[in-house]
Amino acid sequence: MVDYRPHERKLILKVVFYGPALSGKTTNLMQLHNLLKPQRKGELMVLETRDDRTLFFDLLPIGLRGEQGLDLRLKIYTVPGQVQHDSTRKAVLSRADGVIFVADSQPLQQDNNANAFENLAENLTKLGMTIEQLPLVIQFNKRDLEGAVAESELRMRWRETPWAPLCMASALNGHGVVESFRALLERLYPQLNHEFHLHSNEGISAEHFIRQLSAVAGEDHA
Amino acid sequence: MRSFEDDPKLLDMLSPERLKRLLSLIETLSSHSLRLEEKYLKEAEPVEFNLECLAWLHCPGRPDVQQAAARLLEFILMYVGKYRLAANMHHDTTRASYAELERQNIALQVSEARFRLLSEELQTRVDAQVKIIEKTQRQLYESARLRAVGQLAAGVAHEINNPVGFISSNLRVASDYLNEISEKLPDDKNTHLMLEDFRALLSESVSGARRIATIVTDLKTFSNIDQADFTPCSLNALLGTTCHLLQAEHKATLPLRMELTELSPLAGYPAKLSQAFYNILDNAVKALEKEGGEIRIISRQHQATQEIIIEDNGCGIPQDVQACVFDPFFTTRPVGAGSGLGLTVARDVIAAHEGEIQLDSQEGQGTRITLRFWNK
Repeated sequence: MVDYRPHERKLILKVVFYGPALSGKTTNLMQLHNLLKPQRKGELMVLETRDDRTLFFDLLPIGLRGEQGLDLRLKIYTVPGQVQHDSTRKAVLSRADGVIFVADSQPLQQDNNANAFENLAENLTKLGMTIEQLPLVIQFNKRDLEGAVAESELRMRWRETPWAPLCMASALNGHGVVESFRALLERLYPQLNHEFHLHSNEGISAEHFIRQLSAVAGEDHA
Repeated sequence: MRSFEDDPKLLDMLSPERLKRLLSLIETLSSHSLRLEEKYLKEAEPVEFNLECLAWLHCPGRPDVQQAAARLLEFILMYVGKYRLAANMHHDTTRASYAELERQNIALQVSEARFRLLSEELQTRVDAQVKIIEKTQRQLYESARLRAVGQLAAGVAHEINNPVGFISSNLRVASDYLNEISEKLPDDKNTHLMLEDFRALLSESVSGARRIATIVTDLKTFSNIDQADFTPCSLNALLGTTCHLLQAEHKATLPLRMELTELSPLAGYPAKLSQAFYNILDNAVKALEKEGGEIRIISRQHQATQEIIIEDNGCGIPQDVQACVFDPFFTTRPVGAGSGLGLTVARDVIAAHEGEIQLDSQEGQGTRITLRFWNK
């Protein structure tokens, strides 16, 4: 849930990168850290183990200030993908405002994708949320790999779901990462605006919201 | 409850002593005095962690030192915070896992208790079932035995009937012959004595044969051998034969008092009615234990009904037992001593005659059974 503290004029949102092990969630976050030039950007916090597997989570805080002084922050987390870390995954997922599901495009990983997606739905239910109502973007990563499942096939498979269109990415090369993030911001904004009247009260329009939080080098903030 | 991801305060991350030491180290390195406050200081540099302003650092006159010192503090706080977040996260998940384990443990205990209860219940039910089976087996054995005895009695009665018939008739003829022979014999004292003795022998034999005939008749009435359709029967006569049979069994020692009044004939099964009377009387006999006990057998003719009352002043039936006395196979007697069918059969027989049976009993005072039949 959104953490809104009216007396501090602070709105803290939480976005979570979810997905099977080794699908590139941390890579996505590192690329966001490298590529994004939002109004405010904190340090990237990576809590990985010796073999570069995420044990707890990674965190990147970014933020913007509204015209009326609202301190809007977005904490972007990754979860550990390995099956055994489910309680950690659930703790990170709790009170999430949006999820980017990072799936692996390799054919042999399709079962893992499905299991992780099911796990996401289950954990959301346990945390009192429903997957259909949560802003959710599905990204198929590792498009650069040879033998990746054809994009047309993936799009066809997901066409009838509420999560179409899919995002295609090659996080290692920085492709599609910001686009996925923007897709999520687009789905997140209407819910926030509905609840906090960002546009009318804070002077934060959808365009402003997305541009300020997902600006990249060479783009103007103003 | 604080979640692992709540933004920490400065003092959550470093204790005042550590903070003081850190600050003095930076002061030594920079050769400038620094001031660190959680509340806003004019011209000071914010110290941030995850975009959250934790404190303000001020170094009068040296904004460059102030800025470098603030970044150094942030750098250090970053690693402190990283550890703190991970530790909080670990704490949270461990507690959640533990709570989950406890929930599972409680659920397991509950289900274990339920299963234990179920198993105990099953055991009691099995025990009860085994008891019922054992009892039923005994009862089957008993009723089979009773039936066998009844058939044997009927068979014996039938077989004895003919010889007893010709023994009786032959004895009468023998008496006549004896009278004729006596006239042709010498008229001396010895012969007279012998003849007198002979007559006595014959007369005793005749009465003995008559008694045998009576017992055979009772047995035939009692057993189901003569069963036919409803026939007009006299309840008084049936009561009489049943009493004879009982007396014969108890060597004529029973204190039975008959107070019979004349009854109109009743359509029914004589054998079955005798059986019912026998069962009730047999219970009455067994209820008499002390001296001076008595069984009264009363018959009364009313306008629409006739009543048979059999009452004793014996031990009586306890209140709680009274409810069960008509239940099949209910008995208070030791195993093998009673079939538990006596009053059940009596009730069924009376019901078959569209009559009713009523029990009045007082423990220690005696028991009265009233049978009521409607005149047709």
